[in-house]
Amino acid sequence: MIQSIIRYMHGYVKIRVEGYSPERFLNLCSYHQIYIWGLTPCGNAYEMYMSLKGFRKLRPIVRKTHTRIVLILRVGLPFFIHKYRKRKLFFLSLLLCLGLLYLYSSFIWDIHFEGNEKWTNETLLEFLETKEVSPHMLKSKVDCAQIVKDIRKEYDDIVWVSASIDGSRLRIQIKENEDTFREEEDTGGDQEETKQPTDLIAAKDGVITSIITRSGVPQVHVGDTVSKGDVLVSGRVEVVSDSLEVVGYQYQKSDADIFADTQMHYEDTISTKYKKKYYEKSQKNLYYVKIGSWLLSGGTLKNNYKEWELHTSEHQLKLGESFYLPISYGRKVVKSYNSKEKTHTKEELQKELSENFEQFSKKLQEKGIQIKENSVKIHIDQNAATAVGELFLNESITEEANTEIIEIERNEQDESVRTDD
Amino acid sequence: MGKEKENERLKERLASAASMPKDVVLGAAVVTIIGAGEVCIENYRGIIEYTDILIRVQTKGYQIKLQGKNLQIEYYTNDEMKITGKIVSLEYCK
Repeated sequence: MIQSIIRYMHGYVKIRVEGYSPERFLNLCSYHQIYIWGLTPCGNAYEMYMSLKGFRKLRPIVRKTHTRIVLILRVGLPFFIHKYRKRKLFFLSLLLCLGLLYLYSSFIWDIHFEGNEKWTNETLLEFLETKEVSPHMLKSKVDCAQIVKDIRKEYDDIVWVSASIDGSRLRIQIKENEDTFREEEDTGGDQEETKQPTDLIAAKDGVITSIITRSGVPQVHVGDTVSKGDVLVSGRVEVVSDSLEVVGYQYQKSDADIFADTQMHYEDTISTKYKKKYYEKSQKNLYYVKIGSWLLSGGTLKNNYKEWELHTSEHQLKLGESFYLPISYGRKVVKSYNSKEKTHTKEELQKELSENFEQFSKKLQEKGIQIKENSVKIHIDQNAATAVGELFLNESITEEANTEIIEIERNEQDESVRTDD
Repeated sequence: MGKEKENERLKERLASAASMPKDVVLGAAVVTIIGAGEVCIENYRGIIEYTDILIRVQTKGYQIKLQGKNLQIEYYTNDEMKITGKIVSLEYCK
């Protein structure tokens, strides 16, 4: 395959050698390093293929061997170019084509992201655009190392980035930190609040069921009833002298898991009546193409329907994955309908309300709140259906608050104590 | 004549003693036959005769006579040639 392409590029000929001793001609050819292939005897003569370069060296050999050469076939690029040498436009456009190919390949046409789950392609693209990295930028202006640095700087939870140019595509591989949220909270809290002492206070009324203190002084016990705003763990640790007097305070950030039984009121009301839409067959379509600010549309939306809905869908054209063109097309549809008021049946209402409640419980459980008991009941009136009741929960009720600092007062007392001694 | 033969014999013994390739030292022809349809000849001097049923190739000291049907020389260079076609016999003659 490759050989035949090379032969075509260089050009070759098919010749017939006639005469007294064609064998001598062949031997001389091989002696002069002229490559011959496809040699076939043809009566008294031989037919063979020979490269154009070899053919040009043939004259002295022919004279020496007294043979006659007939040129049968000419194949290859040199002959092709010679044949069409007068078609200047063709060669011009060929050159232009090559030039454009070269020019266009010096741009980035596409940005491809891999491994991103939390951060969407669109977000990352927007961010890169602020750093002047976008499709249709010059390839030579891409600084992969800088892109990597920028992304790492902007997004804390992206732990590894690699940017590489893959043809005319910029490939960005990303590794996100999977347990991002917890760490963010922890580290953020640490950095800001190591200086700031905090208490833990109750966010809700409740009865304490378990308490695990990691730092701070617990102010409540299991079984205590607390109300909203009560201090649960104090960030102020007393420093006690030998005579059991308080001589000072140490402040720290309180940390504890405190669970309490709490109560919550639940109410959910839905109407027993609803509007049902009966779509009619009549609708109006409008198709459009938007190029920049220029709009081309076909069809009309004018109507005299009593009640109608408008649906619009639009698609923007893009090259590859991320090179959006300023061309979009879409369709607008006006659908007419009739509406009638209907009433839900009792079963439907019950089903919907219990589904809503289940959804609500699920959300609570996702937050780590346990539902121990509930007294939610469904009441159905003529106009509305209601689910009302109390939920008995077990949840973490801690909330951070700044510790009251009362150091100065104590310091004065300390001094007086010392003088007494 | 006798001297030349002796020389040749000495060369051969030397080549086999030093385990050197004979095609290089003695200029012996290398004939590779693949199946019954392809022959490769290296180290030859030239073609003496070529028709589609008989090819005679001159090598150093002897001739190779190849008989067959539809014989064709695929390519032909200074040091190697490839013949395809249905091969019937291959003879070495002085």
